[in-house]
Amino acid sequence: MNMVRRTVLSFAAACAWGMMSGLAAAAGEKITVITPYLAQPGTQFYVTAFQDKAKANGWEVNVVDTKGDVAAVISRLEDAANQKPAAIVINVDPSQVTAGLEAAKAAGVPVFGMDAGASPLLATNVTSNGYSMAADTAAYVANRINGKGKVVMFVFDAFPPVQQRGIIADVIFKNNPDIKILDRVTPDVKDGGIADSRAKMEAILSANPDKGSISAVWAAWDQPALGALQAIEAAGRGGEGIVITGIDANPEARAAIAKGSNFEATMAQDFSGIGSAVADAVKRQIAGEKIKQSVIYVPTKLITAANAKE
Amino acid sequence: MLKSLQPYGTFICFVALLVFFSLMLPGTFMTGRNFINISQQMSMLAVTAFAMTVVMAMGDFDLSVGSMASLAGIAAALTFQATDSVPLGISFALLVGVAGGVLNGFLVSYLGILPFVATLGTLTIFSGTAFLISGGKTIFGSAIPAGFSGIAKGGIPIWWSGDQVLLLPNLTIIAACAGLIIWFILEKMALGRHLHAIGGSAEAARLAGVNVRWTRLLAFCLTGLGASLAGLMYAARVASANPTQGSGLMLDAIAAVFLGMTMGRYGEPRVFFSLVGVLIIGVLSNGLTQLSVDSYVRDILVGTIIILAVAVGSVEKLRRN
Repeated sequence: MNMVRRTVLSFAAACAWGMMSGLAAAAGEKITVITPYLAQPGTQFYVTAFQDKAKANGWEVNVVDTKGDVAAVISRLEDAANQKPAAIVINVDPSQVTAGLEAAKAAGVPVFGMDAGASPLLATNVTSNGYSMAADTAAYVANRINGKGKVVMFVFDAFPPVQQRGIIADVIFKNNPDIKILDRVTPDVKDGGIADSRAKMEAILSANPDKGSISAVWAAWDQPALGALQAIEAAGRGGEGIVITGIDANPEARAAIAKGSNFEATMAQDFSGIGSAVADAVKRQIAGEKIKQSVIYVPTKLITAANAKE
Repeated sequence: MLKSLQPYGTFICFVALLVFFSLMLPGTFMTGRNFINISQQMSMLAVTAFAMTVVMAMGDFDLSVGSMASLAGIAAALTFQATDSVPLGISFALLVGVAGGVLNGFLVSYLGILPFVATLGTLTIFSGTAFLISGGKTIFGSAIPAGFSGIAKGGIPIWWSGDQVLLLPNLTIIAACAGLIIWFILEKMALGRHLHAIGGSAEAARLAGVNVRWTRLLAFCLTGLGASLAGLMYAARVASANPTQGSGLMLDAIAAVFLGMTMGRYGEPRVFFSLVGVLIIGVLSNGLTQLSVDSYVRDILVGTIIILAVAVGSVEKLRRN
């Protein structure tokens, strides 16, 4: 019996210890952040910035990491809704967690999206503006080639957030009558997009062997831009002044830009800015404001050789 | 006294958790709605754990259940896309589960490969296949028919209060049915007795006239079928299919069965014991989230409880010796 009693006591002690770590924070507004992607660097930036702002506001934040498990996000939304925190923040596609969002709605708990995708079940979603990122890089290309020349586009219309980038670039290039679209390529993305983009670009270079026959490469994200850069350098055509742009500012793209290669520009999302803008939106909601915008955009930044190392 | 209480240690721990969370979370834990939530949240793990109990009754493992669950979800989603038929998608996914189980069973019982190695291999094969046929992408949106995702949203109304209706979720009902069927097979049919006999000693079972090879093949088949059912439930719940979404189920299912095994007088796995294991994991996840305790603490506590529960049995055995 002693053994059983001791076991039960150990469980109780373990639970109490676990609880202490959660309740140690000062009592304030309770906010629950639920994400399956905490291991990813971008998400860590959002969450850290959100926590910093939350601390300044005196909130008690509980971050729940479901470690890639999307169904567990629904479960944790249901659990959190039971506790009725002031707000819940999610960082997952809302269409995959509808059941949990409905539970939160039934409990009257507002849910905020942190780069999550728009949904009528969210109070608002804070993210970067894909349209404006595409506009910035397409305008950069048009300006750099003085509104004249042949441009290769790398697009991916099957994925809506990337498809919208291509549409905007199309419009900007169309608005320059002397810019011709040489090819609108959809690379195979199974390998991440670099290898197939390189192969496609090699074929285009072979088909257009003359110097100056290709003025620029506009890519809807960084991987095809990196593939195109590899193809251009391998073909010994790095000196032709072909301008390459991407979007996302991943470390490899930043390095290529900083080196002064043909890869000249990309767009950086402000992950920390997204996290703190979510905190601002939560604060407005707690103050009693009904947020009208279903999406709040956080400004993005053009990265060129001048600021690629920042 | 201790001897008679020892098998109940894990159950007492479960009750202690219920009491603890009820005291800490008055008004939000011990409610019908919360328990219905927990039952729905744990339904996929429950089906996987019940299926795992079948092979663990023979002393074997099936490490491929998680990747089979993912593959089944993808297989169903692709069939929906190709045929627009929900019954066809579900049937095909379950068939994939049975085929995967047959492969596991063949490798283990006819080729004599250790279950750990064979199912580790098929884990990788199933996972690779799921990635290959889905192109590594999540299949969601209009590709998943509302008739399928609606299964996870629906249920049987059991209580009305004003406008609010409390539903017994379909996923809970499916898990309960799966549990009852596997309980019936393991406890009431000759196949179940044969499985337990193989778990005691395969050689003795063979000498007693049990067709060990065939029985093992059937057991892996059942586990594959259960894993694919869990995968379908998961895909319906998240209204999407992803080549990795079932991967978390395998370790939790083994943990649940182990927790349950500590309740058996001889440490044998049984369906209702596994259910208690699943409920301990579910209650911990739910209660700790409600208490705003760090989500990683749940993992530490589940591990601690398994070790403590098994340690009670071991210490008692040592003392007897």
